[in-house]
Amino acid sequence: MKRFKPAAERSEGAVIHTHAVDTLCPYCGVGCAVTYVADADRRRILFARGRDGAANSSRLCVKGRYGFDYASHGQRLTRPLIRRESAYPKGQLTPLEKRPNKPGGPVDYDDLLPHFREASWDEALDLVASRLKAIRDSDGSRALAGLGSAKGSNEEAYLFQKLVRAVFGSNNVDHCTRLCHASSVAALMEGIGSGAVTNIVRDIARADVAFLTGCNPTANHPVAATFMKEAAEAGTQLVVVNSRRPAIADQAALYLPIRPGTDVALHNAMLHVLIRDDLVDHAFIRERTDGFEAVTETVREYPPETAARICDVPAADIERAARMIGEAKAVMFFWGMGISQHTHGTDNARGLISLAMVTGNVGRPGTGLHPLRGQNNVQGASDAGLIPMVYPDYQRVDDPEIQRRFEDAWGVQLSPTPGLTVTEMMNAAKAGELKGMYIMGENPFVSDPDVNKVRQALAKLDFLAVQDIFLTETAEFADVILPASSFMEKDGSYTNTDRRVQLGQPVLALPGEARQDWELICEIGSRMGYPMEYPDVAAVFDEFAAATQSYATLSHAALGDRGRWYPCSDPATSDGDPIVFQDSFPSGRAKLVPARFKPAEEQPDAEYPLILSTGRVLEHWHTGTMTRRSRALDTISPEGLMEMHPVDAGALGMEDGALAQVRSRRGDVRIRVRITDAVLPGTVFIPMHFREACANLLTDPRIDPDGKIPGFKFCAVSVNPANLPESRTA
Amino acid sequence: MSRQVELTINGKAVSVPVGTTLWDAAAAIGIDIPVLCHEPRLRPVGVCRLCVVDVGARTLAAACVRPCEEGMEVRTDSEEVEAHRRTLLELLLADQPDESARENTTGDDALYELARRYGIKDIPLPDGAAGHPRGRDDSSPVIAVDHQACILCDRCIRGCDEIQHNNVITRTGKGYETRIAFDLDTAMGESTCVACGECVAVCPTGALTHKAVHGLRLEEET
Repeated sequence: MKRFKPAAERSEGAVIHTHAVDTLCPYCGVGCAVTYVADADRRRILFARGRDGAANSSRLCVKGRYGFDYASHGQRLTRPLIRRESAYPKGQLTPLEKRPNKPGGPVDYDDLLPHFREASWDEALDLVASRLKAIRDSDGSRALAGLGSAKGSNEEAYLFQKLVRAVFGSNNVDHCTRLCHASSVAALMEGIGSGAVTNIVRDIARADVAFLTGCNPTANHPVAATFMKEAAEAGTQLVVVNSRRPAIADQAALYLPIRPGTDVALHNAMLHVLIRDDLVDHAFIRERTDGFEAVTETVREYPPETAARICDVPAADIERAARMIGEAKAVMFFWGMGISQHTHGTDNARGLISLAMVTGNVGRPGTGLHPLRGQNNVQGASDAGLIPMVYPDYQRVDDPEIQRRFEDAWGVQLSPTPGLTVTEMMNAAKAGELKGMYIMGENPFVSDPDVNKVRQALAKLDFLAVQDIFLTETAEFADVILPASSFMEKDGSYTNTDRRVQLGQPVLALPGEARQDWELICEIGSRMGYPMEYPDVAAVFDEFAAATQSYATLSHAALGDRGRWYPCSDPATSDGDPIVFQDSFPSGRAKLVPARFKPAEEQPDAEYPLILSTGRVLEHWHTGTMTRRSRALDTISPEGLMEMHPVDAGALGMEDGALAQVRSRRGDVRIRVRITDAVLPGTVFIPMHFREACANLLTDPRIDPDGKIPGFKFCAVSVNPANLPESRTA
Repeated sequence: MSRQVELTINGKAVSVPVGTTLWDAAAAIGIDIPVLCHEPRLRPVGVCRLCVVDVGARTLAAACVRPCEEGMEVRTDSEEVEAHRRTLLELLLADQPDESARENTTGDDALYELARRYGIKDIPLPDGAAGHPRGRDDSSPVIAVDHQACILCDRCIRGCDEIQHNNVITRTGKGYETRIAFDLDTAMGESTCVACGECVAVCPTGALTHKAVHGLRLEEET
């Protein structure tokens, strides 16, 4: 007879006491609520449970469920590091390329650590403060700059921009939103006076049609994608546009595989059909928009047949996409970096805004504009003012009235000149105009276009302080490295793609002597002679919220364990507004701005015959510093692969898994090929996460004139089979 | 406002909208009906039959799927109902592995929890597993699959298809050979599984567990 063994007779082994902490996932802009269960001495997280958050209803993806262990990785920085005299002049300390006997992966500590010595906090912080102060005093405020992070909290972002503006004395502060949605924000600010989404992701359940373009939600916003697929199964028709087939196209009513970089022509042709067939909302256009005539004039030149030739999709499909949008009662527009990361990214977004406006699809359930945000706090970091042209809440630095208000609040004189963007900072550093930088939680050496140029720029800086949780490629150029807090160790608020402001809580204890990022920002400010003292993170939030309208009603106490959408009239009685701009826009009327199609500047030619697009994979994040240190994620996805169409691979005689040499005008990488018809013939795709096959060695640093965003999604490359000795391909 | 129906559960009056299940109506007034194949985030399917209740009809009704009817008098804890559940639990436990990977690690095996609640010690049934090992699948880097611990409740299937909309998990086989399968019955690690872990989150037994905690006896402090 079988005997049931109840828990009391559980198998051998010491019991590990655990405690559960309600917090958020550290990865993407969806902002999933999660409970992490950690051991009682807070050294490591054991497993994750989905929590019933507004954005996820207990759902998680592989990163939230299994990607938490990076925080307790043995390579966490635990003591301040100062560059040894012998490591000057500065240069790159580790090779990017994979070497024999060395696996690919994050920066090799054995290469880097000998060039740095451990230091006390006082020595390190005094050195940072004195060197930055000396540069400011000798070369002026504009010789200093700060790069903040969209992975940090709202409070950290607020303090960081305050440090740069009030202490460094310039507006040279930016962060990685420049590299993802700067053009979307530029178009939205120009069009409606607000860069945030109008409707939350889950409102798609009430849409008749959803237009998903330049996004790959199942990989990049996986939990949001579950709600999109749910809507599709319940009857929402998805129109999917991309030049690399995203998995969500499986649920699409219509999929348009357009040629890379031709979105403007597509949008114009759709507007052409809508206007020609009178499928526009005249009342909405009359009452809430300006500029319809100019758009009408421009799109007259783009009949579907013309766009069909440019975009390489059937004219009938363009007609159908336009009619689906024109005839539906509620249409929602989602877009990702396939729209924004072009040198005409702002024009791409302008077209989407026009499509929504002429059909009256804003301000109602199931409608609206939703640029899917990348990092967990890219919305909040922008709201908090990590942008060179604006103070918190998008208040312009060149408006004297606003400047005076912040001067009164912060008690210092401020600069009226908009500062440098990420890409402009690298140019200024290379030109010797920018001499000192403070980089918190960013890794431009892998994330920025044309990293060979970034390398020269960073090496040229007189002084660079890097604050991070691991040694990154960027830290190789640092004079001082400050060991900081991971998401899992900090208190703070984060604003997701839906404008939902939610609190994260510490799950783990800080490792070694590592310190909270917000305290380090304050230490540097104070040691440079500007006292920055706060009792806790909640007090920082209060100062930030008071400087804005959007967050004015919120506080840590009011956010509670579920957060609130902003704007929120009264957090005691309201969850906040899932839909905004029902009656008017912050700018009053929407401004429709026409755009003309311009081909990307670097077209394929005989020498570089293929178009390279870059992007992400489900299991990895940004430059891989976190996810490549997660055992689960690294096991599932250990290597970057270049996707290539069977026709192109066949012409080169390359088989699946073959090693390719990829060249552009700026650099070259070796990477294994994955043959798939998800990419179009004539195009290849390389994920951005893998330093040993660094896509950004190849990318074109030319930027969009309005959003200043580089065109990561388009450059010309050549691909050839790489003939390397076997030992180098292991 | 939708139409309401009135009924009593264990003598307590309750009024609920038409279409409400007995399980939801009972939960609303604080009556816990044991269940394995259902959880509130999932579409109820009524396959485990542990939630059976007496509605005064010829047979017992599965509360998770049976809609409330006007004037129903429901007993959730009669002797017959409890005997029924006990037998079901014994049947489910008869071929469970000697140890539960869920109970041993995160300690939240719902079948074990019910077995304890019903005081089950000796199982007066032959061990169904003898000579019928239903196998394991350890091909996923993050999720362990123990078919022997699977009670075919379909929670993972609904979690995969209807919560995450990944449509990877299904059933295959007949009779005692029936088990869950991935895609067209490929190993989980080679299937289109995206490792979101929803199947582990909804599984009530040791059939689907997080590999990373295997070998760890965890006890959560409250």
